[in-house]
Amino acid sequence: MPIPVKPDRSVTTTCAYCGVGCGFKAETVEGRVVRMIPWKEGKANHGHSCIKGRFAFDYYQHPDRITTPMIRKNVDDPWQEVDWDTAFAYAAGEFKRIQAEHGTTSVGAVSSSRCTNEEIFLMQKFARVALRNNNIDNCSRICHSPTQFGLSATLGAGAASQHFDSILQSDVVLVVGANPTEGHPVFGSMMKRAVRRGARLLVIDPRRTETVDSPHCRAEVHLALRPGTNVLVLNSVAHVIVRERLYNEAFVRARCDGDDFELWMDLVGDDRYSPDVVGPEAGLDPDDIRRLARIYAGGPNSTIYYGLGVTEHSQGSTGVMCLGNLTMATGMVGREGVGVNPLRGQGNVQGGSCLGSWPHMLTGYRFVTDDVVRGSFEDEWKITLDSEPGLRLPNMFDAAVTGSFKAIYIQGEDPIQSDPNRHHVEAALRSMECVVVQDLYLSETAKLAHVFFPGSSSLEKDGTFTNAERRVSMVRKVIEPLGGLADWQITVGFMNAMGYECHYDHPSEVLDEIARTSPAYSGMSFDKIEALGSVQWPCNTDAPEGTEVLHTVTFPRGKGSFMLTGYLPTSERATDQYPLLLTTGRILSQYNVGTQTRRTANVAWHDDDVLEISADDAAGRGLSSGDRATITSRYGSTELTVSISERVNPGVVYTTFHFAHTMVNNLTSDLDDWATNCPEYKVTAVDVVRASIAQPVAGS
Amino acid sequence: MSFIETERLVTMANQIADFFAPYPSARRIEGVRNHLRNYWDPRMRQALYDHIDATGGPELRPHVLEAVAVLREAAPATEAKKAYAGPPRD
Ligand code: SF4
Repeated sequence: MPIPVKPDRSVTTTCAYCGVGCGFKAETVEGRVVRMIPWKEGKANHGHSCIKGRFAFDYYQHPDRITTPMIRKNVDDPWQEVDWDTAFAYAAGEFKRIQAEHGTTSVGAVSSSRCTNEEIFLMQKFARVALRNNNIDNCSRICHSPTQFGLSATLGAGAASQHFDSILQSDVVLVVGANPTEGHPVFGSMMKRAVRRGARLLVIDPRRTETVDSPHCRAEVHLALRPGTNVLVLNSVAHVIVRERLYNEAFVRARCDGDDFELWMDLVGDDRYSPDVVGPEAGLDPDDIRRLARIYAGGPNSTIYYGLGVTEHSQGSTGVMCLGNLTMATGMVGREGVGVNPLRGQGNVQGGSCLGSWPHMLTGYRFVTDDVVRGSFEDEWKITLDSEPGLRLPNMFDAAVTGSFKAIYIQGEDPIQSDPNRHHVEAALRSMECVVVQDLYLSETAKLAHVFFPGSSSLEKDGTFTNAERRVSMVRKVIEPLGGLADWQITVGFMNAMGYECHYDHPSEVLDEIARTSPAYSGMSFDKIEALGSVQWPCNTDAPEGTEVLHTVTFPRGKGSFMLTGYLPTSERATDQYPLLLTTGRILSQYNVGTQTRRTANVAWHDDDVLEISADDAAGRGLSSGDRATITSRYGSTELTVSISERVNPGVVYTTFHFAHTMVNNLTSDLDDWATNCPEYKVTAVDVVRASIAQPVAGS
Repeated sequence: MSFIETERLVTMANQIADFFAPYPSARRIEGVRNHLRNYWDPRMRQALYDHIDATGGPELRPHVLEAVAVLREAAPATEAKKAYAGPPRD
């Protein structure tokens, strides 16, 4: 497409792809988006961008886009196109019928982090006031739910402690289970800038990622640990800090619970976590563990950034707690240049967490079982709310399989492709009597739906996103919704059809409702965000223009709490039959399960998922780069093209999961985090053989 | 049929118990109890109770059984305890 010399319109908005939340100017000619120009004033990106936000915007007008509501009685029937009112009436009729037959709690909903804060808030409101239960979940269930749990338990706030620019004041940067140069590229560039200015880089990751070694970016210590040993290794780092008395006693005395600190010191100080014991178990040189611990504790300003390599484990929440413990023990929290920061995956995962789209929590991480909190929402919404926790998404699927859960409203998510154990999810959806999917395309999940609401892309609506540094930025409507309604209007339409009357003229009224009910957002409004460009929560009377750094004086829970993080090996182990450990990640040009980026020219950079394997493991199997291989786990199998790589150690294989046809989630187990049910995507025992001599692919 | 397959519930309950295992006894039980109370749908809790009533729950960690006993003593409707984020503190 020739670059237009002069756009007829330019709208400042926020990229929806990743948790960096870059500001862009979207330029249009005759109602079509023709260019995305990084916004210089954007406080998250300062005029930078990556190739997803910059170039991968054509997905909104891909021929696969569905723009008309559709219904059908059975999933084998052809779709019938209908108008919006008919679709709302049909979906509401089915949900009400099912509730009458199977009970109020036999239905639920799940929100999407591709949607705005206002849309996510409306989804949880829909569940609570229209379905009259707490069966509402959000997609961070399968990525960063352990962050919310682990950081809340230790520090009291399930979010990043810093703003992105804080890294420029760090002397030491510890990256754990994340690859920001690929997954969060604009932040990755800022990290490289910090390293170029002299910050020491430490990485804990099974793979020699681009963050470990690439131009302008070389880790001083890289712990290439065996997948599944995060908690073991982090406890060993803590062991060195305790045994060598590298902790900050003054900070701990002043800011943390002393009894818990003593218990924690006893636990991690035990010989069980000595580097000499842990090293061989985790595949590491004990001296490297010691070096990393000494550099981190020495600071003087050390900061932690982490990703799904920490959370997506059966001890995901425990791993996050380990990081919270480390920051408190060393006093590396509460000022510029330090802290602990989750690198969020989807554009608005932080918003998904904050806005109460949880079965047990209302906005601001407050429990539905708390009478006072629940009462404040009952006053606002003029309705009595269910006082018991609802079902998490994996438990909705579990209950569907046993026949106890019958209908679901899915906003902008594709659990068949993105959730673990694809066969289980498919069986669950097939057993439901009504599946409502709201999406841009007929996704894998939509193929099993009874109602399809054509959703709107982030270019087609107004609202706000909250990025990984708690920054709330404007999403502005660049073009009209192709399906006629923005996602927030669809949810409101469904809510009214269900019998709960509500009306909003504009999403700003939803943010006003969020501000009325949520202390951390109480000072926020569209007008304020417009005026300031963006605002980081908490934004309230104490901090009317928002808060860049958390925990400066106290922790939200008062004293910081050291959690006891005993290591428990995952039951997913390598065996003679499945001798390799598969771990997964992302690549720069594609985004998550690729629903959008696969529908853009970005496929020129990356058009398939490949299997990275060490030369040793490849040689033992007669594999060369470019060969097709069958990968088999205890749960299923799939086929991938082999790429021999020095990035993975012998015994470990790695792939991305951007393409539906590769069905990587055929392989993953149904093990999940003890606290949140976040799936253990990062460890699956597999075998790899040449495709030509392999058995036919099972379950595909 | 159980609300959710019994094996799955038992695994989940034992995983929670394993996390709290390093805590002193009272906090260990309180931790499991709080987690089940604040994070589990009541039908999941009931299915676990039914399993324990029917079999004694031989595959459950002892402090799951103790936590369930504490939880069943207080009827949720009359429970005044303020909810919090799961870890054993109060
Ligand atoms: S994908 Fe992330 S880093 Fe890239 S432009 Fe969008 S927000 Fe920025």
